[in-house]
Amino acid sequence: MKLLALLLPLLLAPAPCLAEPATVMRATDLKQQPASDAPAAGQLAENAKVDALERKGGWTRVKAEGGTEGWVRMLALRYAGAGEAKPGDAGISQLLNVARTGTSGTQVTTGVRGLDAEQLANAKPNAAELKKMASYSASKDSAEGFAANGKLRAQRVDYPKEGGK
Amino acid sequence: MNRHCVILLFALAAAAPAQAQFNLRNLDINKLVDTAKNVGKATTEIGEKEEIEIGQDLAARLLGAAPLVANEAMQRYLNQVGRWLASQTERPDLPWRFGVLEAPQLNAFATPGGSIFITRGLLERMKSEAELAGVLAHEIAHVLRKHHLKAIQKGAQVELAGTAVTQLARQDRNTASREKLLSTGSELFARGLDKSDELEADRLGVVIAARGGYDAYGLPSVLQTLQAMNPQDSGVALMFKTHPAPGERLDALEKMQPTLDAYAAQPQLTERFAATARPRR
Repeated sequence: MKLLALLLPLLLAPAPCLAEPATVMRATDLKQQPASDAPAAGQLAENAKVDALERKGGWTRVKAEGGTEGWVRMLALRYAGAGEAKPGDAGISQLLNVARTGTSGTQVTTGVRGLDAEQLANAKPNAAELKKMASYSASKDSAEGFAANGKLRAQRVDYPKEGGK
Repeated sequence: MNRHCVILLFALAAAAPAQAQFNLRNLDINKLVDTAKNVGKATTEIGEKEEIEIGQDLAARLLGAAPLVANEAMQRYLNQVGRWLASQTERPDLPWRFGVLEAPQLNAFATPGGSIFITRGLLERMKSEAELAGVLAHEIAHVLRKHHLKAIQKGAQVELAGTAVTQLARQDRNTASREKLLSTGSELFARGLDKSDELEADRLGVVIAARGGYDAYGLPSVLQTLQAMNPQDSGVALMFKTHPAPGERLDALEKMQPTLDAYAAQPQLTERFAATARPRR
C-alpha cells in the first residue's frame, strides 16, 4: 500500500523530545549542573533560542546558539509550537489505524473516528464497555503492591493554600 | 425565569421570613421563593450516591463515543497507577476506575464519582509513568473538587429552574429530566470547565502526584509536550478549546515551584511505563 509506505517513517520516528527548538522566557543563567547553586556556564537573554536536549527534574539541558550546553529551569522554556506546521498531525494515526486493521486483522473497532465535539454530543451510552472498565479496576491493596514494586513512597504534601477554594 | 430573577429570589428567600405573603401583580411570589429555596438546596444536596450514578451514566456515554483500547494489560496498569494516586487523597474510597479510550486525539476526562479517562493519543505522547501520574492526578482533582458536578448543577439550574436538581438526580434514569441533566454533563466535555477549575486541578495534580511518590514534574512535562504541538493539529483541537493554553498553564504552575522542586528527584518510572503502556502494535 503506497500511502502506508509513505507514512510509515513518520509513525516510526521517535517522539519529538530530543533537540527540540525552544525559546527562553526570561534572561537566565545557563547552569553547569541542574541545580540553582551550580556555577553558570553562560548567560541566556530573554527570548534566546536554544535546542532542548533532556529533562532532569525541574531542569532541562539545552544547547545555546553558539554551541554552549548547560541547564535551565524547565518552566522557563517554551517550545516552537504555535503556528508552526509540524509533521505528523495526530489525525494521521487515525488513517493508519484503518489501514492497519485492514492488513493485520487486529481488533481495532472499525468506524471509530475518535473523540471530537460532535461525537461527544451524539454518543449513546455503551453499557458493555462500562462493565468492562469496572472489571479492570484495581483494589487499594493491589495498588499499594504496585507502588512498592516501583519503589514509590507515599509522601505527606499539603495542598496549596491560595485560591480560596 | 431568567438568571437575574433567580439570584434576586435567592436574596429574598434568605431575607424574608418563610411565610411572607406578597402579591405583586400576577406573580406568585411564594411559589417562586420556594423554587429558589429548592434550587439553593440542590447546590448542596446531591449526595455521593447520586454523584456516582450521574458519573457512571456520563462515563457510559464517553465510552459510546470511543470504546476502551482492547489491551487488558494496559487498562489494568492504568488502574494501578490511578488507584494508587486516589488512595493519597481525601476521597480514597470512591469507586475509582480508569480507562484508555481508543481515540487518536489527545485528551483526558473525569466524570463525577471517580471515573477517569485518557485517550490513546495522549498516552502515546507520554514518556514516563510520572507523566501519566501527573495527568491522572489532574483528573482526580476534578473529581475531588466536584468541578463537573457543580458545573452540571449550575447549567441545569439555569435551564430547569423550578425543579430541584436533587430530585432530577434521584429520578429514574430514563426520565426526560434525568436525560436533560446528563446531556448538560455531556456538553461539558465539548465545552469545558471554568479556567479557574483547570488551573486548580493543575496545582492539586502536582501535589497528588508528589504524594504518590512520583517526580512532581510529570504534569508540567506533559504540558510542555502539548505546548510544542501545533494548535491547528486536529488531534489537539478539542483539548485546546476546552482548556487554557498549555503555556498559560505552565506560567500558572510557577507558583508551585517549591513543591515541584522538593519532589523532583522522585521516580519517573520510564521503563515500567514503556513496557506496559506502549506495547508494540
